[in-house]
Amino acid sequence: MTIVRDAANDDTQARPGPEGEDARLVEEATLLDPVVHKQPRRFYAAMRKLDPVHYDAALDMYLVSRWEDIQTVQRDPLTFSVNKGYHTQQAKGFAEEFQQILREKGGGYFPDAIMSDPPYHTRVRKLMESAFTAHRVKDLEPRIEAVVDGLLAELADKGAMDAVTDFAQPLTIRIICEQLGLDWSIKDRIARWSTAVTAQIGRMQDREEMLGHAAQICELQRYLIAKMREREADPREDMISDIVHARDGEGEGSVLTFEEAVSLIRALLIAGNETTATALSNLVLILATEPAVAEMLRASADDDRLMNRFVEELLRIEPPVRGLSRMTTKEVELGGRMLPEGAHLLLLYASANDEPEIFPEPRRFDMERKNIMKHVSFGGGVHKCVGLALARMEIKVAARLLVRKFADVRLAIAEEDIAYLPTVATRSMESLPVTFTLND
Amino acid sequence: MGEICVTLTDIEGSVVEIEDGAEGETLMELARRHDVKGIIAECGGACSCATCHLYIDAAWSAAVGTPDPVEEDMLDMVEDIRRPTSRLSCQITLHPGLDGLIAEVAPEL
Ligand code: HEM
Ligand code: FES
Repeated sequence: MTIVRDAANDDTQARPGPEGEDARLVEEATLLDPVVHKQPRRFYAAMRKLDPVHYDAALDMYLVSRWEDIQTVQRDPLTFSVNKGYHTQQAKGFAEEFQQILREKGGGYFPDAIMSDPPYHTRVRKLMESAFTAHRVKDLEPRIEAVVDGLLAELADKGAMDAVTDFAQPLTIRIICEQLGLDWSIKDRIARWSTAVTAQIGRMQDREEMLGHAAQICELQRYLIAKMREREADPREDMISDIVHARDGEGEGSVLTFEEAVSLIRALLIAGNETTATALSNLVLILATEPAVAEMLRASADDDRLMNRFVEELLRIEPPVRGLSRMTTKEVELGGRMLPEGAHLLLLYASANDEPEIFPEPRRFDMERKNIMKHVSFGGGVHKCVGLALARMEIKVAARLLVRKFADVRLAIAEEDIAYLPTVATRSMESLPVTFTLND
Repeated sequence: MGEICVTLTDIEGSVVEIEDGAEGETLMELARRHDVKGIIAECGGACSCATCHLYIDAAWSAAVGTPDPVEEDMLDMVEDIRRPTSRLSCQITLHPGLDGLIAEVAPEL
Protein backbone atom coordinates (compact mmCIF):
# COMPACT_ATOMS: atom_id res chain seq x y z
CA MET A 1 0.00 0.00 0.00
CA THR A 2 1.39 3.38 -0.91
CA ILE A 3 -1.02 5.68 0.88
CA VAL A 4 0.98 7.69 3.37
CA ARG A 5 -1.00 7.53 6.50
CA ASP A 6 -0.81 7.99 10.13
CA ALA A 7 -2.15 4.77 11.54
CA ALA A 8 -0.49 1.62 12.72
CA ASN A 9 2.50 0.37 10.81
CA ASP A 10 3.74 3.33 8.86
CA ASP A 11 7.01 3.84 10.62
CA THR A 12 8.23 6.64 8.39
CA GLN A 13 5.64 8.90 9.97
CA ALA A 14 7.19 8.55 13.39
CA ARG A 15 10.69 9.35 12.21
CA PRO A 16 11.99 12.76 11.35
CA GLY A 17 12.17 13.58 7.65
CA PRO A 18 14.95 15.35 5.73
CA GLU A 19 16.60 18.18 7.68
CA GLY A 20 15.21 21.06 5.63
CA GLU A 21 11.71 19.69 5.56
CA ASP A 22 11.68 19.22 9.34
CA ALA A 23 12.88 22.74 9.92
CA ARG A 24 10.13 24.02 7.67
CA LEU A 25 7.53 21.94 9.50
CA VAL A 26 8.60 23.23 12.88
CA GLU A 27 8.70 26.74 11.47
CA GLU A 28 5.36 26.72 9.69
CA ALA A 29 3.10 23.93 10.86
CA THR A 30 0.42 24.30 13.50
CA LEU A 31 -1.86 21.76 15.12
CA LEU A 32 -4.74 23.93 13.96
CA ASP A 33 -3.96 23.08 10.35
CA PRO A 34 -6.46 20.35 9.33
CA VAL A 35 -3.80 18.45 7.39
CA VAL A 36 -1.36 18.40 10.30
CA HIS A 37 -4.26 17.68 12.61
CA LYS A 38 -5.13 14.53 10.72
CA GLN A 39 -1.56 13.26 10.35
CA PRO A 40 0.53 14.87 13.03
CA ARG A 41 3.27 12.28 13.47
CA ARG A 42 5.81 13.78 11.11
CA PHE A 43 5.31 17.16 12.79
CA TYR A 44 5.76 15.53 16.20
CA ALA A 45 8.96 13.82 15.10
CA ALA A 46 10.35 17.07 13.74
CA MET A 47 9.59 18.85 17.02
CA ARG A 48 11.15 16.10 19.12
CA LYS A 49 14.31 16.47 17.13
CA LEU A 50 14.56 20.23 16.60
CA ASP A 51 12.38 21.98 19.15
CA PRO A 52 10.98 19.64 21.82
CA VAL A 53 9.06 22.36 23.64
CA HIS A 54 7.73 24.17 20.62
CA TYR A 55 5.66 27.34 20.63
CA ASP A 56 2.69 26.94 18.31
CA ALA A 57 1.78 30.55 17.61
CA ALA A 58 -1.59 29.86 15.99
CA LEU A 59 -2.67 27.83 19.03
CA ASP A 60 -0.82 30.09 21.47
CA MET A 61 0.47 27.01 23.28
CA TYR A 62 3.76 25.28 23.88
CA LEU A 63 3.68 21.76 22.50
CA VAL A 64 5.56 19.34 24.74
CA SER A 65 6.64 16.46 22.54
CA ARG A 66 9.21 14.40 24.45
CA TRP A 67 8.47 11.62 26.93
CA GLU A 68 10.99 12.92 29.44
CA ASP A 69 9.55 16.43 29.47
CA ILE A 70 5.97 15.19 29.71
CA GLN A 71 7.03 13.10 32.69
CA THR A 72 8.66 16.16 34.32
CA VAL A 73 5.43 18.11 33.90
CA GLN A 74 3.25 15.32 35.27
CA ARG A 75 5.46 14.85 38.31
CA ASP A 76 5.30 18.53 39.29
CA PRO A 77 1.60 19.42 39.48
CA LEU A 78 2.22 22.67 41.35
CA THR A 79 4.54 24.25 38.79
CA PHE A 80 2.49 22.87 35.91
CA SER A 81 -1.06 23.57 36.93
CA VAL A 82 -4.08 21.70 35.62
CA ASN A 83 -6.35 24.19 37.31
CA LYS A 84 -4.97 27.18 35.43
CA GLY A 85 -4.44 25.26 32.19
CA TYR A 86 -7.95 23.90 32.14
CA HIS A 87 -9.89 26.91 33.19
CA THR A 88 -8.20 29.12 30.63
CA GLN A 89 -9.34 26.73 27.93
CA GLN A 90 -12.89 26.47 29.27
CA ALA A 91 -15.30 28.03 26.81
CA LYS A 92 -12.45 30.10 25.47
CA GLY A 93 -13.61 33.60 24.64
CA PHE A 94 -17.10 33.27 26.11
CA ALA A 95 -16.43 32.15 29.65
CA GLU A 96 -18.65 34.70 31.38
CA GLU A 97 -21.66 34.29 29.17
CA PHE A 98 -21.27 30.51 29.36
CA GLN A 99 -21.23 30.51 33.16
CA GLN A 100 -24.19 32.84 33.33
CA ILE A 101 -26.30 30.49 31.20
CA LEU A 102 -25.40 27.52 33.39
CA ARG A 103 -26.33 29.44 36.53
CA GLU A 104 -29.66 30.52 35.13
CA LYS A 105 -30.76 27.35 33.40
CA GLY A 106 -28.52 24.49 34.46
CA GLY A 107 -28.94 24.48 38.23
CA GLY A 108 -25.59 26.21 38.72
CA TYR A 109 -22.10 26.66 37.36
CA PHE A 110 -20.05 23.79 38.72
CA PRO A 111 -16.36 24.20 37.97
CA ASP A 112 -14.62 20.87 37.48
CA ALA A 113 -13.40 19.93 40.94
CA ILE A 114 -11.02 17.31 39.61
CA MET A 115 -9.36 19.80 37.25
CA SER A 116 -7.49 21.31 40.16
CA ASP A 117 -4.11 21.25 41.85
CA PRO A 118 -2.91 19.67 45.09
CA PRO A 119 -3.68 19.89 47.95
CA TYR A 120 -7.31 20.53 46.97
CA HIS A 121 -7.05 17.95 44.18
CA THR A 122 -5.68 15.33 46.59
CA ARG A 123 -8.79 15.48 48.73
CA VAL A 124 -11.25 15.45 45.83
CA ARG A 125 -9.38 12.69 44.03
CA LYS A 126 -9.43 10.46 47.10
CA LEU A 127 -13.16 10.92 47.47
CA MET A 128 -13.65 10.24 43.78
CA GLU A 129 -11.62 7.05 43.96
CA SER A 130 -14.24 5.67 46.31
CA ALA A 131 -16.43 5.19 43.22
CA PHE A 132 -13.84 2.76 41.86
CA THR A 133 -13.93 0.35 44.77
CA ALA A 134 -12.13 -2.94 44.41
CA HIS A 135 -15.27 -5.01 44.24
CA ARG A 136 -16.85 -2.79 41.62
CA VAL A 137 -13.81 -3.20 39.37
CA LYS A 138 -13.87 -6.94 39.97
CA ASP A 139 -17.52 -7.08 39.00
CA LEU A 140 -16.85 -5.36 35.75
CA GLU A 141 -15.86 -8.21 33.53
CA PRO A 142 -19.05 -10.29 33.45
CA ARG A 143 -21.23 -7.21 33.27
CA ILE A 144 -19.23 -5.73 30.43
CA GLU A 145 -19.32 -9.07 28.64
CA ALA A 146 -23.09 -9.08 28.83
CA VAL A 147 -23.28 -5.59 27.37
CA VAL A 148 -20.83 -6.32 24.53
CA ASP A 149 -22.54 -9.62 23.73
CA GLY A 150 -25.89 -7.91 23.50
CA LEU A 151 -24.60 -5.17 21.25
CA LEU A 152 -22.75 -7.54 18.90
CA ALA A 153 -25.83 -9.73 18.64
CA GLU A 154 -27.87 -6.72 17.50
CA LEU A 155 -25.30 -5.88 14.83
CA ALA A 156 -24.47 -9.42 13.68
CA ASP A 157 -27.13 -9.87 11.00
CA LYS A 158 -26.46 -6.56 9.35
CA GLY A 159 -23.00 -7.42 8.04
CA ALA A 160 -22.05 -3.75 8.24
CA MET A 161 -21.82 -1.06 10.89
CA ASP A 162 -20.47 2.35 11.66
CA ALA A 163 -17.83 1.36 14.18
CA VAL A 164 -18.07 4.75 15.88
CA THR A 165 -21.81 5.34 16.15
CA ASP A 166 -23.14 1.77 16.11
CA PHE A 167 -20.46 0.10 18.16
CA ALA A 168 -17.93 2.20 20.10
CA GLN A 169 -20.18 4.97 21.36
CA PRO A 170 -23.23 2.88 22.34
CA LEU A 171 -20.96 0.40 24.08
CA THR A 172 -19.17 2.91 26.27
CA ILE A 173 -22.39 4.73 26.98
CA ARG A 174 -24.19 1.57 28.06
CA ILE A 175 -21.38 0.65 30.37
CA ILE A 176 -20.94 4.01 32.00
CA CYS A 177 -24.72 4.24 32.47
CA GLU A 178 -24.67 0.90 34.16
CA GLN A 179 -21.72 1.86 36.37
CA LEU A 180 -23.23 5.16 37.37
CA GLY A 181 -26.67 3.61 37.83
CA LEU A 182 -28.32 5.73 35.16
CA ASP A 183 -31.28 4.86 33.10
CA TRP A 184 -30.16 3.60 29.77
CA SER A 185 -32.96 5.32 27.93
CA ILE A 186 -30.90 8.52 28.01
CA LYS A 187 -28.36 7.08 25.58
CA ASP A 188 -29.12 9.46 22.74
CA ARG A 189 -28.88 12.47 24.97
CA ILE A 190 -25.54 11.32 26.40
CA ALA A 191 -23.86 11.46 23.03
CA ARG A 192 -24.99 15.08 22.65
CA TRP A 193 -24.05 15.96 26.22
CA SER A 194 -20.62 14.45 25.75
CA THR A 195 -19.93 16.49 22.66
CA ALA A 196 -21.07 19.64 24.43
CA VAL A 197 -18.88 19.11 27.48
CA THR A 198 -15.77 18.05 25.55
CA ALA A 199 -16.17 21.01 23.24
CA GLN A 200 -15.43 23.26 26.20
CA ILE A 201 -11.97 21.79 26.61
CA GLY A 202 -10.47 21.33 23.21
CA ARG A 203 -12.53 22.89 20.54
CA MET A 204 -12.37 26.22 18.89
CA GLN A 205 -16.13 26.87 19.10
CA ASP A 206 -17.82 30.03 17.88
CA ARG A 207 -20.49 31.81 19.89
CA GLU A 208 -23.38 30.13 18.12
CA GLU A 209 -21.94 26.72 18.93
CA MET A 210 -21.18 27.72 22.50
CA LEU A 211 -24.85 28.62 23.01
CA GLY A 212 -25.97 25.26 21.65
CA HIS A 213 -23.49 23.43 23.88
CA ALA A 214 -24.46 25.43 26.93
CA ALA A 215 -28.10 24.41 26.45
CA GLN A 216 -27.02 20.78 26.33
CA ILE A 217 -24.95 21.11 29.47
CA CYS A 218 -27.89 22.71 31.29
CA GLU A 219 -30.06 19.73 30.39
CA LEU A 220 -27.34 17.32 31.50
CA GLN A 221 -26.91 19.02 34.86
CA ARG A 222 -30.62 19.14 35.59
CA TYR A 223 -30.81 15.43 34.85
CA LEU A 224 -27.84 14.56 37.06
CA ILE A 225 -29.01 16.71 39.93
CA ALA A 226 -32.35 14.89 39.99
CA LYS A 227 -30.57 11.52 40.08
CA MET A 228 -28.27 12.68 42.85
CA ARG A 229 -31.23 13.76 44.97
CA GLU A 230 -32.69 10.27 44.57
CA ARG A 231 -29.44 8.60 45.64
CA GLU A 232 -28.98 10.94 48.56
CA ALA A 233 -32.19 9.60 50.02
CA ASP A 234 -31.85 6.06 48.78
CA PRO A 235 -28.28 4.86 48.18
CA ARG A 236 -27.72 1.99 45.77
CA GLU A 237 -24.81 -0.05 44.51
CA ASP A 238 -23.63 2.45 41.89
CA MET A 239 -21.11 5.23 41.36
CA ILE A 240 -23.53 8.10 41.86
CA SER A 241 -24.36 6.76 45.31
CA ASP A 242 -20.64 6.33 46.02
CA ILE A 243 -19.87 9.94 45.10
CA VAL A 244 -22.86 11.40 46.90
CA HIS A 245 -22.03 9.47 50.06
CA ALA A 246 -18.22 9.51 49.75
CA ARG A 247 -16.43 10.20 53.02
CA ASP A 248 -12.78 10.26 54.03
CA GLY A 249 -12.14 10.82 57.73
CA GLU A 250 -14.04 13.32 59.84
CA GLY A 251 -14.71 17.03 59.95
CA GLU A 252 -14.27 19.77 57.38
CA GLY A 253 -13.58 18.57 53.87
CA SER A 254 -14.28 14.92 54.68
CA VAL A 255 -17.23 14.86 52.30
CA LEU A 256 -17.82 16.45 48.91
CA THR A 257 -19.86 19.62 48.59
CA PHE A 258 -22.89 19.42 46.36
CA GLU A 259 -21.14 21.52 43.68
CA GLU A 260 -18.13 19.23 43.75
CA ALA A 261 -20.26 16.11 43.53
CA VAL A 262 -22.19 17.39 40.48
CA SER A 263 -18.95 18.22 38.72
CA LEU A 264 -17.42 14.82 39.48
CA ILE A 265 -20.40 12.83 38.30
CA ARG A 266 -20.51 14.95 35.17
CA ALA A 267 -16.80 14.23 34.69
CA LEU A 268 -17.26 10.49 35.15
CA LEU A 269 -20.11 10.42 32.69
CA ILE A 270 -18.21 12.39 30.06
CA ALA A 271 -14.49 11.75 30.57
CA GLY A 272 -14.88 8.06 30.06
CA ASN A 273 -17.03 8.20 26.95
CA GLU A 274 -15.27 10.01 24.21
CA THR A 275 -11.92 8.54 25.28
CA THR A 276 -12.96 4.91 25.56
CA ALA A 277 -15.15 5.14 22.45
CA THR A 278 -12.14 6.51 20.59
CA ALA A 279 -10.02 3.59 21.75
CA LEU A 280 -12.68 1.15 20.55
CA SER A 281 -12.97 2.87 17.17
CA ASN A 282 -9.20 2.71 16.85
CA LEU A 283 -9.44 -0.99 17.61
CA VAL A 284 -11.82 -1.56 14.72
CA LEU A 285 -9.71 0.60 12.40
CA ILE A 286 -6.60 -1.37 13.15
CA LEU A 287 -8.40 -4.70 12.67
CA ALA A 288 -9.69 -3.48 9.32
CA THR A 289 -6.39 -2.15 8.05
CA GLU A 290 -3.73 -4.34 9.67
CA PRO A 291 -4.36 -8.02 8.96
CA ALA A 292 -1.30 -8.97 11.01
CA VAL A 293 -2.68 -7.24 14.09
CA ALA A 294 -6.08 -8.83 13.55
CA GLU A 295 -4.35 -12.19 13.44
CA MET A 296 -2.38 -11.38 16.58
CA LEU A 297 -5.60 -10.56 18.38
CA ARG A 298 -7.29 -13.73 17.20
CA ALA A 299 -4.38 -15.76 18.54
CA SER A 300 -4.46 -13.91 21.88
CA ALA A 301 -8.19 -13.93 22.56
CA ASP A 302 -8.11 -16.79 25.05
CA ASP A 303 -5.02 -15.67 26.94
CA ASP A 304 -5.59 -13.01 29.55
CA ARG A 305 -1.96 -11.99 29.75
CA LEU A 306 -1.75 -11.46 26.01
CA MET A 307 -5.05 -9.61 25.97
CA ASN A 308 -3.83 -7.17 28.61
CA ARG A 309 -0.74 -6.54 26.55
CA PHE A 310 -2.79 -6.15 23.39
CA VAL A 311 -4.85 -3.42 25.04
CA GLU A 312 -1.79 -1.55 26.34
CA GLU A 313 -0.11 -1.65 22.94
CA LEU A 314 -3.29 -0.47 21.23
CA LEU A 315 -3.41 2.48 23.62
CA ARG A 316 0.27 3.21 23.07
CA ILE A 317 0.20 3.10 19.30
CA GLU A 318 -2.96 5.19 18.97
CA PRO A 319 -3.61 7.22 22.12
CA PRO A 320 -7.23 8.43 22.26
CA VAL A 321 -6.32 11.63 24.07
CA ARG A 322 -4.21 13.83 21.83
CA GLY A 323 -3.10 16.18 24.51
CA LEU A 324 -4.17 17.83 27.73
CA SER A 325 -3.08 21.16 28.98
CA ARG A 326 -1.15 22.68 31.84
CA MET A 327 -0.20 26.23 32.74
CA THR A 328 3.05 27.25 34.40
CA THR A 329 2.67 28.97 37.75
CA LYS A 330 6.19 30.37 37.65
CA GLU A 331 9.09 30.81 35.32
CA VAL A 332 10.59 27.39 34.73
CA GLU A 333 12.93 25.53 32.42
CA LEU A 334 11.58 22.64 30.42
CA GLY A 335 13.42 20.62 27.80
CA GLY A 336 16.10 23.30 27.52
CA ARG A 337 13.66 26.16 27.07
CA MET A 338 12.80 28.88 29.58
CA LEU A 339 9.05 29.18 29.95
CA PRO A 340 7.50 32.31 31.42
CA GLU A 341 4.87 32.18 34.13
CA GLY A 342 1.45 31.63 32.60
CA ALA A 343 2.75 29.63 29.64
CA HIS A 344 0.08 27.33 28.29
CA LEU A 345 1.33 23.82 27.51
CA LEU A 346 -0.15 20.94 25.57
CA LEU A 347 1.23 17.50 26.45
CA LEU A 348 1.42 15.45 23.26
CA TYR A 349 0.94 11.88 24.41
CA ALA A 350 1.09 10.42 20.90
CA SER A 351 4.47 11.99 20.41
CA ALA A 352 5.92 10.58 23.65
CA ASN A 353 4.56 7.15 22.75
CA ASP A 354 6.42 7.34 19.45
CA GLU A 355 9.87 7.99 20.82
CA PRO A 356 12.11 5.36 19.24
CA GLU A 357 14.64 5.55 22.08
CA ILE A 358 11.96 4.28 24.47
CA PHE A 359 9.79 2.23 22.13
CA PRO A 360 12.01 0.82 19.37
CA GLU A 361 10.25 0.79 16.00
CA PRO A 362 7.40 2.75 17.52
CA ARG A 363 4.97 2.28 14.64
CA ARG A 364 5.23 -1.49 14.94
CA PHE A 365 2.42 -3.10 16.93
CA ASP A 366 4.50 -5.16 19.33
CA MET A 367 2.69 -6.78 22.24
CA GLU A 368 5.91 -8.12 23.72
CA ARG A 369 7.48 -4.78 24.57
CA LYS A 370 9.17 -5.20 27.93
CA ASN A 371 8.31 -1.66 29.01
CA ILE A 372 4.82 -1.65 27.57
CA MET A 373 3.38 0.31 30.52
CA LYS A 374 5.66 3.24 29.85
CA HIS A 375 3.21 4.76 27.39
CA VAL A 376 1.56 7.96 28.60
CA SER A 377 -1.88 7.48 27.08
CA PHE A 378 -3.47 7.65 30.54
CA GLY A 379 -1.34 10.61 31.60
CA GLY A 380 0.71 10.25 34.75
CA GLY A 381 1.38 11.65 38.18
CA VAL A 382 -1.44 12.77 40.44
CA HIS A 383 -3.81 13.30 37.51
CA LYS A 384 -3.36 9.89 35.97
CA CYS A 385 -6.64 8.62 34.59
CA VAL A 386 -8.88 7.52 37.45
CA GLY A 387 -10.97 5.36 35.12
CA LEU A 388 -8.11 3.35 33.66
CA ALA A 389 -9.13 -0.02 35.08
CA LEU A 390 -12.63 0.37 33.68
CA ALA A 391 -11.27 1.56 30.32
CA ARG A 392 -8.81 -1.31 30.04
CA MET A 393 -11.46 -3.85 30.89
CA GLU A 394 -13.92 -2.44 28.35
CA ILE A 395 -11.36 -2.53 25.57
CA LYS A 396 -10.19 -6.01 26.51
CA VAL A 397 -13.64 -7.53 26.60
CA ALA A 398 -14.75 -5.73 23.43
CA ALA A 399 -11.64 -6.83 21.53
CA ARG A 400 -11.98 -10.42 22.65
CA LEU A 401 -15.65 -10.78 21.83
CA LEU A 402 -15.39 -8.84 18.60
CA VAL A 403 -12.69 -11.05 17.18
CA ARG A 404 -14.48 -14.19 18.27
CA LYS A 405 -17.72 -13.23 16.69
CA PHE A 406 -16.82 -11.12 13.63
CA ALA A 407 -14.40 -12.02 10.87
CA ASP A 408 -12.98 -10.20 7.92
CA VAL A 409 -13.65 -6.68 9.14
CA ARG A 410 -13.06 -4.26 6.25
CA LEU A 411 -13.30 -0.55 5.67
CA ALA A 412 -16.32 0.48 3.65
CA ILE A 413 -14.76 3.83 2.70
CA ALA A 414 -11.29 4.77 1.51
CA GLU A 415 -8.90 5.26 4.36
CA GLU A 416 -8.02 8.80 3.28
CA ASP A 417 -11.68 9.73 3.64
CA ILE A 418 -11.86 9.04 7.36
CA ALA A 419 -12.79 12.32 9.03
CA TYR A 420 -11.56 13.35 12.46
CA LEU A 421 -13.41 15.54 14.92
CA PRO A 422 -12.06 19.08 15.00
CA THR A 423 -10.89 19.06 18.59
CA VAL A 424 -7.43 19.39 20.03
CA ALA A 425 -8.24 17.27 23.08
CA THR A 426 -9.00 13.90 21.54
CA ARG A 427 -8.11 12.39 18.23
CA SER A 428 -11.41 10.81 17.33
CA MET A 429 -12.94 9.68 14.08
CA GLU A 430 -16.36 11.06 13.26
CA SER A 431 -17.47 7.89 11.57
CA LEU A 432 -15.97 4.55 10.52
CA PRO A 433 -18.14 2.45 8.20
CA VAL A 434 -16.99 -1.18 8.02
CA THR A 435 -18.31 -4.50 6.73
CA PHE A 436 -17.77 -7.90 8.33
CA THR A 437 -18.73 -11.53 8.17
CA LEU A 438 -19.51 -13.84 11.07
CA ASN A 439 -17.38 -16.64 12.47
CA ASP A 440 -19.31 -19.87 12.67
CA MET B 1 -1.20 1.23 67.84
CA GLY B 2 0.99 0.81 64.79
CA GLU B 3 4.14 -1.00 65.79
CA ILE B 4 5.21 -2.84 62.65
CA CYS B 5 8.76 -1.98 61.59
CA VAL B 6 9.93 -2.03 57.98
CA THR B 7 13.17 -1.05 56.29
CA LEU B 8 12.93 0.33 52.75
CA THR B 9 15.72 1.37 50.41
CA ASP B 10 14.39 4.25 48.29
CA ILE B 11 15.21 4.87 44.61
CA GLU B 12 18.13 7.07 45.53
CA GLY B 13 19.63 4.28 47.61
CA SER B 14 18.89 5.81 51.03
CA VAL B 15 17.75 3.41 53.71
CA VAL B 16 14.55 4.47 55.43
CA GLU B 17 13.70 2.87 58.79
CA ILE B 18 10.00 3.03 59.53
CA GLU B 19 8.69 2.07 62.95
CA ASP B 20 5.02 2.92 62.97
CA GLY B 21 3.45 0.53 60.50
CA ALA B 22 -0.16 -0.19 61.44
CA GLU B 23 -1.82 -3.54 61.05
CA GLY B 24 -4.30 -3.36 58.16
CA GLU B 25 -2.67 -0.51 56.26
CA THR B 26 -0.89 -1.32 53.03
CA LEU B 27 2.85 -1.10 52.62
CA MET B 28 2.24 1.52 49.92
CA GLU B 29 0.22 3.69 52.32
CA LEU B 30 2.91 3.40 54.95
CA ALA B 31 5.62 4.33 52.46
CA ARG B 32 3.61 7.31 51.20
CA ARG B 33 3.08 8.49 54.76
CA HIS B 34 6.83 8.66 55.10
CA ASP B 35 7.40 10.09 51.62
CA VAL B 36 9.64 7.23 50.61
CA LYS B 37 11.15 8.33 47.30
CA GLY B 38 10.04 6.28 44.30
CA ILE B 39 6.75 5.06 45.74
CA ILE B 40 4.49 7.24 43.62
CA ALA B 41 1.27 5.25 43.73
CA GLU B 42 -0.42 7.06 40.88
CA CYS B 43 -3.54 4.93 40.99
CA GLY B 44 -4.03 5.28 44.71
CA GLY B 45 -3.74 1.57 45.41
CA ALA B 46 -6.06 0.18 42.74
CA CYS B 47 -3.43 -2.24 41.41
CA SER B 48 -3.44 -0.53 38.05
CA CYS B 49 -0.31 1.62 37.72
CA ALA B 50 2.74 -0.28 38.99
CA THR B 51 4.28 2.90 40.42
CA CYS B 52 4.39 1.36 43.91
CA HIS B 53 6.66 -1.45 42.79
CA LEU B 54 9.32 -2.86 45.10
CA TYR B 55 11.64 -5.81 45.45
CA ILE B 56 11.10 -7.82 48.61
CA ASP B 57 14.26 -8.99 50.34
CA ALA B 58 14.68 -12.67 49.50
CA ALA B 59 14.50 -13.69 53.17
CA TRP B 60 11.07 -12.06 53.44
CA SER B 61 9.64 -13.19 50.15
CA ALA B 62 7.85 -16.25 51.53
CA ALA B 63 6.27 -14.30 54.40
CA VAL B 64 4.97 -11.65 52.02
CA GLY B 65 3.64 -14.18 49.55
CA THR B 66 3.12 -14.16 45.79
CA PRO B 67 1.04 -11.77 43.67
CA ASP B 68 -2.55 -12.64 42.82
CA PRO B 69 -3.53 -12.83 39.11
CA VAL B 70 -4.47 -9.15 38.80
CA GLU B 71 -1.17 -8.03 40.29
CA GLU B 72 0.64 -10.64 38.20
CA ASP B 73 -0.79 -9.08 35.02
CA MET B 74 0.39 -5.67 36.11
CA LEU B 75 3.90 -6.90 36.96
CA ASP B 76 4.06 -8.66 33.61
CA MET B 77 3.80 -5.28 31.92
CA VAL B 78 6.88 -3.91 33.66
CA GLU B 79 9.01 -6.87 32.63
CA ASP B 80 12.01 -4.63 31.98
CA ILE B 81 12.38 -3.87 35.69
CA ARG B 82 10.74 -6.94 37.18
CA ARG B 83 12.67 -9.30 39.47
CA PRO B 84 11.69 -12.62 41.07
CA THR B 85 10.59 -10.98 44.34
CA SER B 86 8.79 -8.04 42.73
CA ARG B 87 5.56 -6.96 44.40
CA LEU B 88 3.23 -3.97 44.22
CA SER B 89 3.27 -2.48 47.67
CA CYS B 90 -0.39 -1.43 47.52
CA GLN B 91 -1.27 -5.12 47.45
CA ILE B 92 0.61 -5.97 50.64
CA THR B 93 -1.42 -5.49 53.80
CA LEU B 94 0.68 -5.18 56.95
CA HIS B 95 0.29 -7.65 59.79
CA PRO B 96 2.49 -8.57 62.74
CA GLY B 97 4.08 -11.39 60.74
CA LEU B 98 5.71 -8.75 58.56
CA ASP B 99 7.40 -6.94 61.45
CA GLY B 100 11.01 -6.42 60.38
CA LEU B 101 10.26 -6.58 56.62
CA ILE B 102 13.03 -5.43 54.28
CA ALA B 103 12.47 -4.26 50.70
CA GLU B 104 13.93 -2.05 48.01
CA VAL B 105 11.97 0.40 45.87
CA ALA B 106 12.11 -0.49 42.16
CA PRO B 107 13.25 2.14 39.65
CA GLU B 108 10.59 4.38 38.12
CA LEU B 109 8.71 3.13 35.07
C1 HEM C 1 -9.14 4.56 26.93
C2 HEM C 1 -9.83 5.35 27.68
C3 HEM C 1 -9.27 6.52 28.45
C4 HEM C 1 -8.16 7.28 28.19
C5 HEM C 1 -7.17 7.15 27.05
C6 HEM C 1 -8.07 8.27 29.25
C7 HEM C 1 -7.07 9.21 29.34
C8 HEM C 1 -6.89 10.08 30.40
C9 HEM C 1 -5.77 10.97 30.57
C10 HEM C 1 -4.63 11.13 29.57
C11 HEM C 1 -5.93 11.63 31.74
C12 HEM C 1 -4.93 12.59 32.38
C13 HEM C 1 -5.38 13.99 32.42
C14 HEM C 1 -4.28 14.95 32.78
O1 HEM C 1 -3.14 14.54 33.05
O2 HEM C 1 -4.56 16.14 32.76
C15 HEM C 1 -7.18 11.17 32.31
C16 HEM C 1 -7.73 11.63 33.48
C17 HEM C 1 -9.01 11.31 33.90
N1 HEM C 1 -9.82 10.30 33.40
FE1 HEM C 1 -9.42 9.15 31.81
N2 HEM C 1 -9.13 8.10 30.11
C18 HEM C 1 -9.87 7.04 29.67
C19 HEM C 1 -11.01 6.51 30.26
C20 HEM C 1 -11.62 7.04 31.37
C21 HEM C 1 -12.81 6.50 32.01
C22 HEM C 1 -13.54 5.24 31.58
C23 HEM C 1 -13.12 7.35 33.05
C24 HEM C 1 -14.23 7.32 34.05
C25 HEM C 1 -15.18 6.48 34.13
C26 HEM C 1 -12.10 8.40 33.07
C27 HEM C 1 -12.07 9.44 33.96
C28 HEM C 1 -11.00 10.31 34.11
C29 HEM C 1 -10.96 11.37 35.11
C30 HEM C 1 -12.06 11.73 36.08
C31 HEM C 1 -9.69 12.00 34.98
C32 HEM C 1 -9.13 13.16 35.81
C33 HEM C 1 -8.25 12.60 36.89
C34 HEM C 1 -7.51 13.65 37.68
O3 HEM C 1 -7.25 14.76 37.18
O4 HEM C 1 -7.18 13.36 38.83
N3 HEM C 1 -11.21 8.17 32.04
N4 HEM C 1 -7.75 10.22 31.48
S1 FES D 1 -0.58 2.18 43.73
FE1 FES D 1 -1.02 1.79 41.65
S2 FES D 1 -0.51 -0.30 41.49
FE2 FES D 1 -0.09 0.12 43.54
